Parts: sequence; structure tokens; C-alpha cells
Amino acid sequence: MTRIALQLLLRRLLLAIPILLCVSALVFVILRLLPADPIAMSLPPGATPEDVERLKRDFGLDRSIPAQYFIWLGKLLTGDLGTSIFFRRGVGELVSRALPATIELVAAGLTLGVILGVAGGLAMFAKRGTAAEQAIDLSTTGLMAIPEFLWAILLILFLGVAFPLLPFIGRLDPAVTLPPTITGFLLLDSLLSGRWDALRSALAHLVLPSLALAIGLAPLVMRVLRSSLLETILEDYITQARLRGIGERRILIGHALKNAALPTISLIGVQGGFMFGGTVLVEMIFAYPGLGNLMVDAVRNHDLPVIQAVALIYCVLVLAINAIVDVIYLAANPKLRAAS
Amino acid sequence: MMDRRSLIARGAGLSALAALGVPRDALAQAAAKGQLTLAYPADVPTWDPNARSLAAVQSLYKTVFDQPLTQNPDISPKPALITKWGYVDDKGLSLGVDLRDDVVFHDGTPMTAADFRYSFFERPRAPVPEGGRRLDTSFLWRRVKDIEVVSPTRAIIHFSEPMPSAVAWFYFLCSYVVPKAYVERVGVDEFARKPIGSGPYKLVEYQQGARIVLEAHDKYWGGKPAIPRVTIELVRDPTARVAAIESRRVDVSIDVPIREAQRLGAISGLTSSIDAITDITLLQITKNGGFADDRVRLAAHHAINKEAISKAFFAGAATPIAVPAAKGTPGYPLNFDFPFSEEKAIALLKEVGHGPQNPINIKFSSTNGAFPSDFEVARAIVAMWKKVGINAELETVEPSTYQERLRAKTLPEATVFSWGNTSADPEMYGGYLLDPKSIFSAMKSDDLGPIFAALLVETNEEKRIAGYRAAHQFAAEKGYTIPLYQTVKTIVSQNGVNIVKYANGWTLPQTYSQKS
Repeated sequence: MTRIALQLLLRRLLLAIPILLCVSALVFVILRLLPADPIAMSLPPGATPEDVERLKRDFGLDRSIPAQYFIWLGKLLTGDLGTSIFFRRGVGELVSRALPATIELVAAGLTLGVILGVAGGLAMFAKRGTAAEQAIDLSTTGLMAIPEFLWAILLILFLGVAFPLLPFIGRLDPAVTLPPTITGFLLLDSLLSGRWDALRSALAHLVLPSLALAIGLAPLVMRVLRSSLLETILEDYITQARLRGIGERRILIGHALKNAALPTISLIGVQGGFMFGGTVLVEMIFAYPGLGNLMVDAVRNHDLPVIQAVALIYCVLVLAINAIVDVIYLAANPKLRAAS
Repeated sequence: MMDRRSLIARGAGLSALAALGVPRDALAQAAAKGQLTLAYPADVPTWDPNARSLAAVQSLYKTVFDQPLTQNPDISPKPALITKWGYVDDKGLSLGVDLRDDVVFHDGTPMTAADFRYSFFERPRAPVPEGGRRLDTSFLWRRVKDIEVVSPTRAIIHFSEPMPSAVAWFYFLCSYVVPKAYVERVGVDEFARKPIGSGPYKLVEYQQGARIVLEAHDKYWGGKPAIPRVTIELVRDPTARVAAIESRRVDVSIDVPIREAQRLGAISGLTSSIDAITDITLLQITKNGGFADDRVRLAAHHAINKEAISKAFFAGAATPIAVPAAKGTPGYPLNFDFPFSEEKAIALLKEVGHGPQNPINIKFSSTNGAFPSDFEVARAIVAMWKKVGINAELETVEPSTYQERLRAKTLPEATVFSWGNTSADPEMYGGYLLDPKSIFSAMKSDDLGPIFAALLVETNEEKRIAGYRAAHQFAAEKGYTIPLYQTVKTIVSQNGVNIVKYANGWTLPQTYSQKS
């Protein structure tokens, strides 16, 4: 199993190289073809047209697009993501500060979405053929119709303002200080440093933004799982299990769910990628200092080096999630292991 | 019916939420103990205050760093690090400044004329390392030839050519004194990570894009701030800023939408203010296309009902302006008005063969969401123009696209634009917006060039101010500018906080206090 998984990961890694090259080239070219001047966005009063030209030279924007791309790519291979035009700091530093927050948020959103989705899917299956199933089905349609950013606002208004149960600004309460940076991941750092106040506060601040992301995923998981279960329950081995006198709950959890979960795992892989896209607005609304917030700033200021880097990192994260899901799929599907 | 197991499960869920959540009372207690939480819409790009000249974050820099001069709430200049200033020659090339002798940086070291020289001469002139970027102060203070340190509290600035706006620049963008010894010891990158200034607060924690935590500077020369600890939550989304103050999770919320500010003001326990500030909104116009003829531009100006726009979108708080300067500031001409008159507009257009039945076509652009109600205002103007015979094709543009077109001189006839000027000095209004040599001017009219060229080096302050007033009026009368109104600032606070409002829009927690 481990060998097959490693082979799979290696294949994915090799495949990722051309994908990343294509994405980086595409983003790079599109950004430079836009009729926008990144230098002009950061000019101080007193700058002259000569200063504009000099700054363009400083940032290498006076060269041809292919030349700019290959210079950028060359630096990227050495780990240099360039310098932000707006922040006047290394892009690597900016990204490394924001990335852990986004990973924590997406991990929480995925976990919450999967828990809610699986629980809902099982509930729908258990109530099949009843009015309750219809009601749940109808409400999932409603949940899916509302985009993440609107959920974010609704959650703030409901659980932040009308019934102020949860915080919705940033990652920590004003009275709680940051734990020492060990890994860069706030939850982990709070845990490692024994800062329970920070851990509690960080978890509380994670609930609403991750819920806003999870609400988009959960109904999909529910529906796919319910459909898979309806098909699986008709399989011969389920009938065999019933004949052996095994209880319905054990059949569902121990036998049907395992097989019905395979399409759901694929779906989670795809939706996990989309979830990173959803973080852009959700992070801005919740003042959550992740990649999404950084991207909003970068786009507003046409900060090309930051936009390029963040877009590339989103791509890497999506590929990583897909690779992880493939491995999980492999572990859960004996047929696939045999075929490999 | 709910069974015992469900009841326990639901009860546990609610308890978990309550345990994670922060009760409102907890924040109220924090405020009572001398803490203030503020929701602010922008973050600093870097904590090096000399690096970037962004108007939106000057209030943040002013918490940690000091400027040579500052401004009173009514925007009049006020001594800060500099106590006295004046030219020591008759050509306006040497400006003497006296510095306070009781200023200490947050690390306890005293601020002297050497730090002043470092901030305004050595740093801007320092060679830029490979891959590094020039400080914005190197553009702003480029006319500084040298700064002579006479004593720890006395310096003389020598200019290569007169810089009559230098005094105004002492309280404007980027002009902060940084500690020479500390910056040289730790390096610029480390300084930006752990900034030290001489301002009223020390930066004790910074999470980029999330929050800034400040603690009062005990040895602040202006007296320790009344509120010992301030947390600035960086909340970009206006809806979240509204929710933050409405739920009392913050004590003060800045720049909330006008209608929300009105609504929140009616809620018990909250105070709301909606005031015009010295920033202005105008139409950046060109002589391109349909605006080639002066009469069309003048007609376009006469056709805009600025009062109606102010009432419709800004609760009547956006003071209409006739020239590109805020009313009551030095460069605003006394007794000058540019009246709203559809009749005059129609008459002017008739002279060039156009009217409501035979409209002249122009292109008009606006950002959407970059400034408060920008696109809505643009649409209202389109409707106003249509009534008199100007058919404007409205296009949405990004601020970066506007800048690109401005640089390439391909802007359409008119574009909605907002211009910040906390100093209120006229050079930072017309001097930048109308001087054809300025990179910020859209109108490139030859007759404006000599006027502003003379004003930029005019050392007689009375003549300079009078000159700008005349230039602003001249530009409006010739149809070289279509100013609209003063930008509006909203602040919503809990009743327990005393807010000091600045006419230039500064938000300075060091001036706030809590009611006992």
C-alpha cells in the first residue's frame, strides 16, 4: 500500500510541474496584458515622469513579457518570489505569514463541511421516502444557492450581532496576546506553547469563517453520499449481511458507508480546491489575515509580484489537496490498489 | 419529542459555542479598564513610515511615530517635534528649525537633530541596495541639499531651490522622524518588523492584515495618552465594521457606509458622526473628444447639482466645492461660487450647436467601490448631463487602469476621482491636480503651466496663498476642472468614548479618552 501510494504521489508530482508552468505563464501574461500601471499606483507626490521610467526599470517592467517571465521563473526556482510593489517587502515573507492562516481556515472548513455533509447524508438516507427527506433535500438546495461571502455576512449578522455568541473579527480577542511563533500556525503554536487562552480564542474565531466555507461543501457531500448509499444498499453483499442478521445501523456504518464514501471522497477533493477560492472574500469579510486578504490587497493595488505568487500558491494547494485525496481514495478502494 | 440523549447533545453544542464565544460584557469590562478597540479599514504596507506615502494609513503611523509638526483638529499647524521654524535667508533656501529637548524614542534614547537629519536627508539620499526600493521621502524631500546640525536641538535645512510647501510637508505624508541609531544598528528590515518611534504609543504586537496592538508611551513628550492600551482591528469589509460596532465588539468603527452611520447613530449607546473632511472628490477632465471646447466643459460643470448629490448619497454632509480645494482651506477663493444652472449649461451647449435634442457625446469613467458611492455619483451625473444635452457613455475602471490612462494621456473626457490632502496646503490641491507638469494632472493646459511654475517656488506665503486662490478660480472659470464635493468621514463610537474629530479626517486614538 505504502509503495503504491508513494508511486501515486510521485506521478502527481511529475504531473504538477507542467501544470504549474502553464498556470504561472498564463497568470503572468494575462496580468501584463491588462491596461493597468502597477508603478503608477504607488507613486508619491513629487515623482516625475522620469521617476516612473526609473521605477519601471527597477521592477523590470520595461522588458518584453517573455524576458520578464523567464527572469521571474529563474528567481522562483531559487526560492525568490520577488519584491512587492505595494508593500515594498519580499513576497516570500508576505506569503509565509499569510499561508498558515489560510491552511488552518480551509482545513477547518473542510473538516466542518465533511462532518456536516456526512451527518446530513446519513440523516437523509435514514429518513428516505419520508417528508423529512424532502425537507432536507429542499434546504440543501437553498444552502447551495447562497455563495460563501453571503453566508459570511449572514453568519455575522445572526451569530455575531443578533445573538452575539461568536467573534467575527480577526483571529484573536483584543485582550489575548499572540503566542510565540513556532510553526506559524496559530492553533498549533497556541497548543505547543500551552497558551490555552489563545487556543480557545483562535478556535472561537475560526468557527464562523470556516462555517461560511463549510456550508457550501456540506450540501454537496450530503447529496452525493445519499445517492451512493441508495445504490450501495441494493448490492448483494448488503442483502447477505441482512440475512446474517446484522443490524441496520451496523450494515450502514460498517459496510455500506465504506463503499458509498468513494464518490464522496472524489467530490471533497474537487470542492477542497474550490474552497481555497472561496477564502478570498470570506477572509476579507472576517478580517482574517490569510492569503485571500493578501490577494485582495494585491489586486486592488495591481501588485503583480504578489498576485503571481498567490495565484501559484493557490494552484500548488489545489494540487496538493487532490494528491492527498487520491491517496485516501487509494486506501479506501481495494480494487484500485489491486489494479495499481 | 426530544429524548434525553438529544437534549444533552444540543445542550453540549450550545455550551461549546458559549464557551468559545466572547460575551459582550467581557469587552465592556476591557474598555472600562483602559483598553480601546477600534475597527479601521486599512493596514500599513510597511512599518517604515518613510517608505510609502499612503494617505489612508497616516493615522496609524501617527500613533507610533512623530512628525516635525502636526495639526490641530481644525487643521491649523501645531508645533510637535519642532517648536519654532523660520527661514534664515531671504531667498527661501535655508529653513531653520528648533527641536524639543524632551523627546525620547520608545527605547529610551533621546531624539536629536541628528535623527532629524537622518530622516529628512540621509535616509532619502542613501544609495538603494540591490533589489531594494527608494523611500518615498526621497521623492518628497528631493530639494533638500543638506541639513546642517547646529546643536542637538537646532538644525538648518538647505534647499537646492525654494520649497515653500516644506512646512506643510512637515505634517503631511511620510514625514516622520525615525531613530538613526536604532535603524542603523538593526537594519531597515528589522526596523520595519520592530518599529521604534517617539510617538504616543509603542507597537507591542502586529499581525499583518489583522490587528495592531499599541501600549501608551510613558515618556511621551505630549503626556501619556489617556487610554493605555489600544487594539486596532484591521477590518476591510464595511459590513463587518458595522457589525463590529453594532455588536459592541469594538469601541469605535471608522468609515462605515453613510446610511449605516445614520442608522447606528439612532441606536441607544452609540454615537455617530458624518462630517466633510479636507479630501475632495472631483472630475478629472481632459480636453479630449467632446471636451475640446471650453464651453462644453463649462456646461458640464454648470449642469451638475452638487447639493443634490450630497443629499442623495452623503446625508447632505459632502460640502459642494467650486474649486479643487476644501472650503475654508487657504487655497479656497473667498466669495467665489460656480453655480448649478441648467439654463447656463443649455445656453453654453447651444453656442456649440448642441442641446437636449442634439446631445454631444462624451466618454466618462468611474471606479466602482474605490471611493464612497463613486459609481452611484457617476450615474447621477450622467442623468444630469443628459437633461442639458451631454450624452455620457459611462465605463467602470479600476484605479490601476485610471493611473495607466493618466500616464499615457488617454483618459476620457471625464473621470470620477478622489484626492486626499490632510495638510490642506493649496500646493497639494491645485499644485498637483492642475499643474500640467504634475504626474497627477489630467488637464494639460499650457496656460496653467507658468502659473503653477511660479507658485511652486513662491516664498512669500501671502503671495503664494493668494496666487493659489486665483489659480484655482481661473481653472474653474476656464473649465479646466470640475470639482464636486468634500469627501465625507464617518465615525461610529460607543457613548463611553470621547472622540476628537479632525477636519482632515485623521483618526488618532491618542486624542481619545473614556468617560468615567
